[in-house]
Amino acid sequence: MRILIADDEALLRDGLARLLEDAGFEVVGRCGDADALLRMVDARLPDVAVVDIRMPPNNTDDGLVAAQEIRRRHSRIGVLVLSHHLEAHYAMRLLEEVPERAGYLLKERVSDVAVLADALRRIGEGECVVDPTIVSRLVARQRARGPLDELTEREREVLALIAEGLSNTAIGERMYLSPKTIEAHISQIFMKLDLLPAADQHRRVLAVLAYLRGS
Amino acid sequence: MYRVAAWVVALTAAAVTVAIVRADPGDSVAGESALALTAEVAAGLLLVAAALAARLETWLRVLLAASGIAWLIAEWNSPGAGAAFSVGLVLYAAWPAVLAHAALRYADRSLGWPERALLAVAYAGSLLLLGAGTAVFFDPVEQGCLDCPANRLLLSSHPEAVHDLGRAGLLVAGVWAAAFVALALFRLARASWTRRRVEIPVLVPVAVAVAVFGARALHGRERGFLSNDPTDRAYVAAEVAALVLVAAGVVWARVRARRMRAELTRLVVDLGQSPPPGGLRDQLADAFGDPSLDILHAQTGGTWIDGTGRPADLDGHSDQQVTRLLAGGRPVSAVLHRPGLFEEPAMAAELADAARLALEHERLNALRRAHLESLRASRGRIVATADAERRSLERDLHDGAQQRLATLAIAIRLARRQLAREDQGLDAELGAAEDGLRVALAELRELAHGLIPAVLAHEGLKPAVEALAERWPRLVVGDLPAGRFAAPVESAAYFLVAETLRRSGDGDVAVTARRADGRLLVQLRGATGIAVSTTDLEDRVGAVGGTLDATEGTLCAELPCGF
Repeated sequence: MRILIADDEALLRDGLARLLEDAGFEVVGRCGDADALLRMVDARLPDVAVVDIRMPPNNTDDGLVAAQEIRRRHSRIGVLVLSHHLEAHYAMRLLEEVPERAGYLLKERVSDVAVLADALRRIGEGECVVDPTIVSRLVARQRARGPLDELTEREREVLALIAEGLSNTAIGERMYLSPKTIEAHISQIFMKLDLLPAADQHRRVLAVLAYLRGS
Repeated sequence: MYRVAAWVVALTAAAVTVAIVRADPGDSVAGESALALTAEVAAGLLLVAAALAARLETWLRVLLAASGIAWLIAEWNSPGAGAAFSVGLVLYAAWPAVLAHAALRYADRSLGWPERALLAVAYAGSLLLLGAGTAVFFDPVEQGCLDCPANRLLLSSHPEAVHDLGRAGLLVAGVWAAAFVALALFRLARASWTRRRVEIPVLVPVAVAVAVFGARALHGRERGFLSNDPTDRAYVAAEVAALVLVAAGVVWARVRARRMRAELTRLVVDLGQSPPPGGLRDQLADAFGDPSLDILHAQTGGTWIDGTGRPADLDGHSDQQVTRLLAGGRPVSAVLHRPGLFEEPAMAAELADAARLALEHERLNALRRAHLESLRASRGRIVATADAERRSLERDLHDGAQQRLATLAIAIRLARRQLAREDQGLDAELGAAEDGLRVALAELRELAHGLIPAVLAHEGLKPAVEALAERWPRLVVGDLPAGRFAAPVESAAYFLVAETLRRSGDGDVAVTARRADGRLLVQLRGATGIAVSTTDLEDRVGAVGGTLDATEGTLCAELPCGF
């Protein structure tokens, strides 16, 4: 997989590149600000761009804005935003417009190469990934009444794991349930959330989105 | 006291005049007619009465009363004058000059050089040429007045000098009278509307009296003295009428001032019923009939505020006049008004007298309000500075420590990859270090978030409060306004919610907020304990000019959106 890294901290950028190269990814470019990122993506067309949320020029959410722009320009290029912010709001902003091929991970995961590599692969396959810490916070959150209230405890648990980007098999292993049972739960979830049969991948992403919205 | 003295002098002069005319009606100006005599004496006494009744500055009062008495003395150069004859010889033509002097001073307290020159000529013509100059050379017996009393001022008899001085004096009188009329008309033509309203009732009758006197002087020029032929008597009748009008004009100004005072007294009574801030302005604008009227008050440091305590510009009104009201020599208030409104001395005096309490009341209120506002602004600045510090610390943590630790975690991971196969123990230790770093990162994130969440500054109140619900499952988020507010308002509302959550018990807390009438209304409902010790929250809300209402189980904050 061809990866592009954007982070204003040069040491982190280079270290991350080495970690990913060791894990078998091809790093095709590195840059330190949002403008350079957009130019480099246009020129090198990576499979996934790994983007720090806070970057020059404004040092606020420039990375997120650039990520949204990439999603708009290139439907085939995935984006993984690394962030220190736990708020689901930022993840929502990334996923809302074009939820496929996008991910939002907390920055403290960068050294956990297994998590990172898994997220990158899933994004490459067209799924969306949300940091488990954020997802677990959302589970506890109280919300206004909505379709999510229809879900059983078990179904909500499954949906949370889908949001974290786990495959059916992985979810089955985590919950000590057979893949058949998991599939049954998932089709129940799709039905209750009113997600019509379409491409299965797409429905998974929409379910996650509904989950993030909390309604 | 001086009033009594003035009346004694005036009444004595009037009695002497009556006696003189009665003694020798044929040689008097009034003649046999009791009516003419009554009118003549009444005109003089009315002038004195008007001078004493009106609110005038002392010198003007003296001049006006003196002109009335001088008018009575005009009869004293008659053969029937007896002991007063010599005085009459000198002063019989003095009244027009004194009256002109009084009129000019009435119009303008400080006299310019044209007025001074005119008055010098008038006094010289009346007192020197017609008066003393003639008297020293006039021998009554030699000039054929056998029943005239003795002229005690006579130095030597010179009938020709008397004739020439008389002619010259009468010519000068005619000339200065004409000049005075021209000057009076010029003044009135140039004066402002209010000014004209004040001056016309006095200046016009004086000009008429002086003009008639001038005409009479020119009429008598050939014979060289003022006499009492039928034409003279007609002129004198006109003079009497004009003088009565002068007295009426002076009294009219007094009546107007009284009316103004009544108006202002009513105003003070109205203001007694706790007027709204700046209400005095409206009342005075009504009382003076000047809708553009405005009142400002001085603050220490030379700045000005209006009746509501807001800063105002004293010099910014080019089409208005500024009248400063002094206390202890310092300007404390200022009235902005239509040019000329207070040129009438009585108006400003009445305002100062009648509205002093109301003005002082409003001034103190305005100062208090301005003071409170400046305190509130200062509290707002302190909170804003603290928030800015928090934001800057949050940024430093994020861009500095958090980034550095993340980089360090990657460096350890890279080291582990190289060492893993060679040293199991070292790998475990590095693994533990990596875990420690992850915990440190999570803690730093919490710390930075607690300082001030980036989501509040970047995304606004709604996302920030929704994010709070992710952190505090007890928070039930209801409707929140989506738009942005001023940063201090957003911080105040956010910290209100966050702090309430932190210090309330175990129960759920529901938050709703809405925008209404330029205000952000935040309501928190929850279990008991929600409203305990809210002083610091009140401070935060108060710093942006908002209010916090805490009752058991409910907290309601009202914040102005546009702070």
